[in-house]
Amino acid sequence: MDSFSYLATGFGVALQPMNLLVATFGAFIGTVVGLLPGLGPINGVAILLPLAFALKMPPETALILLAAVYIGCEYGGRISSILLNVPGDAAAIMTAMDGYPMAKKGLGGVALSISAWSSFVGSMIATAGLAICTPILAKWALAFGPAEYFALMVFAFACLTGLIGDQPVKALLATLVGLSLATVGVDANSGVYRFTFDSVHLTDGIQFIVVVIGLFSISELLLMLEEAAHASAIPETGRNMFNLKELARTWWGTVRSSVVGFVVGVLPGAGATVASAITYSMEKRLTDKEGTFGTGDIRGVAAPEAANNSAASGSFVPMLTLGVPGSGTTAVMMGALTLYNITPGPALFEQQPTLVWGLIASMFIGNVILLFMNIPMVGLFTRMLKVPNWALVPGILAVSTVGVYAVHATTFDLVLMSILGVVGYVLRKCEVPMAPLILGFVLGEMMEQNLRRALSITNGDIGILWESPISLGLWVCAAAMVTVPLLYKALSRRWRQARLQAAA
Amino acid sequence: MNSDRLLGLAAIAMAAAMTVAAWGYAAPVEYEPVGPRAFPLLLAALLAMAGAWLAIKPGRHVDLLRGAQSGVIAFCAASIVVYGIVFQLLGFVVATALMALPVGRIFGGTWKQCLLTGVGMGLVLYVLFDKLLDVVLPKGVLEPVFSLIGL
Repeated sequence: MDSFSYLATGFGVALQPMNLLVATFGAFIGTVVGLLPGLGPINGVAILLPLAFALKMPPETALILLAAVYIGCEYGGRISSILLNVPGDAAAIMTAMDGYPMAKKGLGGVALSISAWSSFVGSMIATAGLAICTPILAKWALAFGPAEYFALMVFAFACLTGLIGDQPVKALLATLVGLSLATVGVDANSGVYRFTFDSVHLTDGIQFIVVVIGLFSISELLLMLEEAAHASAIPETGRNMFNLKELARTWWGTVRSSVVGFVVGVLPGAGATVASAITYSMEKRLTDKEGTFGTGDIRGVAAPEAANNSAASGSFVPMLTLGVPGSGTTAVMMGALTLYNITPGPALFEQQPTLVWGLIASMFIGNVILLFMNIPMVGLFTRMLKVPNWALVPGILAVSTVGVYAVHATTFDLVLMSILGVVGYVLRKCEVPMAPLILGFVLGEMMEQNLRRALSITNGDIGILWESPISLGLWVCAAAMVTVPLLYKALSRRWRQARLQAAA
Repeated sequence: MNSDRLLGLAAIAMAAAMTVAAWGYAAPVEYEPVGPRAFPLLLAALLAMAGAWLAIKPGRHVDLLRGAQSGVIAFCAASIVVYGIVFQLLGFVVATALMALPVGRIFGGTWKQCLLTGVGMGLVLYVLFDKLLDVVLPKGVLEPVFSLIGL
């Protein structure tokens, strides 16, 4: 059977009334979570994941819900970027650069509708890419042995370390903390209890939901305390729809950004935030002859929105084909699948075709729902920005706690969640990124298992880790991912100094 | 002290604790070349190196606790921990109402607003999750009341 007949089966799954309903609900919640400043896709997925699990949804329905929330967040983030100049999530920072000036000029409605449109185009292109690339990549990945997997995970961490932030050592630190948290509990191979300190609650490890909710949601609430009071939104005036001239002006930039966004999203580790930053500067260099970017240029709104949506969809590729997530949010989703005892990876396409293709089909449908939700209903969403924090924060806290409680119903998990929240807050204050930490936690067990399996094959000779061309290539790429950004930074600093000296 | 240096030292301390705890991990029957001890020790070593790097070459300093705010944040964090502890003891509705009061106040609500939101939210979410969505929540001290009105 080829991809198309699989995709048809997928649409059969996605069009079941229950799944359609769930996708619509997820798209709505996602948009709301995305537009609330401070709350991003990880928070949205983290809050809904335990609910999906507690409601005993079948795995494909749960995944459809979470994917709809994820994509919805990428749609929602732009609303507060444009109207408040406060990005709703990290990936929408670039949208504020031109979106807010547009709103100030009275073109807020146009900025919102064109960005909804470019989000749609970006997501659709990326979902099509997903449907084409994943089966091919999955087939190729079946050749991966434990040594290749180990190298692949090192590569994923190297991507995160090299691309996030300006302090790679902190990303490394976060990865190590995540990997260490994953070693807690009984060791599957030998039955040895590790770091459990004789506590019954820790024997099967730290619950995934506890870590996610603690590190992301709880610490986020504490960070919200420091933010300044809500800025007031710019009222929408004038027309709400973009016209054909504006569509034509942004079209090629949108398509280019979608393709670049997809490629960036596929790289493990680099996500929507990186993609929107890259495409914004790319479009600025390519098309901005008049120097209007940053002053309310419609192309500067369309490009990053197309990119962050397509990167979000692209980050499903490594998760579905290799079992190595491409972003913090897909790491959470992968954790969700493991709650259902489903291990993402190349075999997933053969074992669970309805799950994979149902998910891909639901992403097509979810995007259509989101487009229709986001253009006419934007007024409703902007009103959400007026929910005061004194009601919002206790609400998020209560729902998150219910989610954690639903898994094991123990006070231990709740206390651990709040402690991890405080730890997460301190780490984030120290500018330690959280995405590598959660990726480390999700991949920890797999990484150790693959390392041990690889070394069992050769009876302890570590040469096997870089013996095959695939793993050698991955090690080289990993090294390049860490060193190239550092070299680039050092070189550009030297150039700048040279230029300053030349000018003086 | 520089916050990065502090972070680095904390990482070294964690690595040391991990090494001490993991040193004794040995499989009762050894049938593979890498036992349960190697991976944690590898992580601890890398963690210590990353920590040492941060302690020796710290980046720019961030104020972890800025004067006036530190008290508020500590209070908010404490409220969250207490919420976790009393959640099962007092039951969802009471615990949520009690949590919404201090947390809501910190975020600028008035006493009346916070009290009403807390009680309302506790009841609405309880009915939503426990009754409609089948997520069992603790009844706690309100158990007799709930059984009286048949909830």
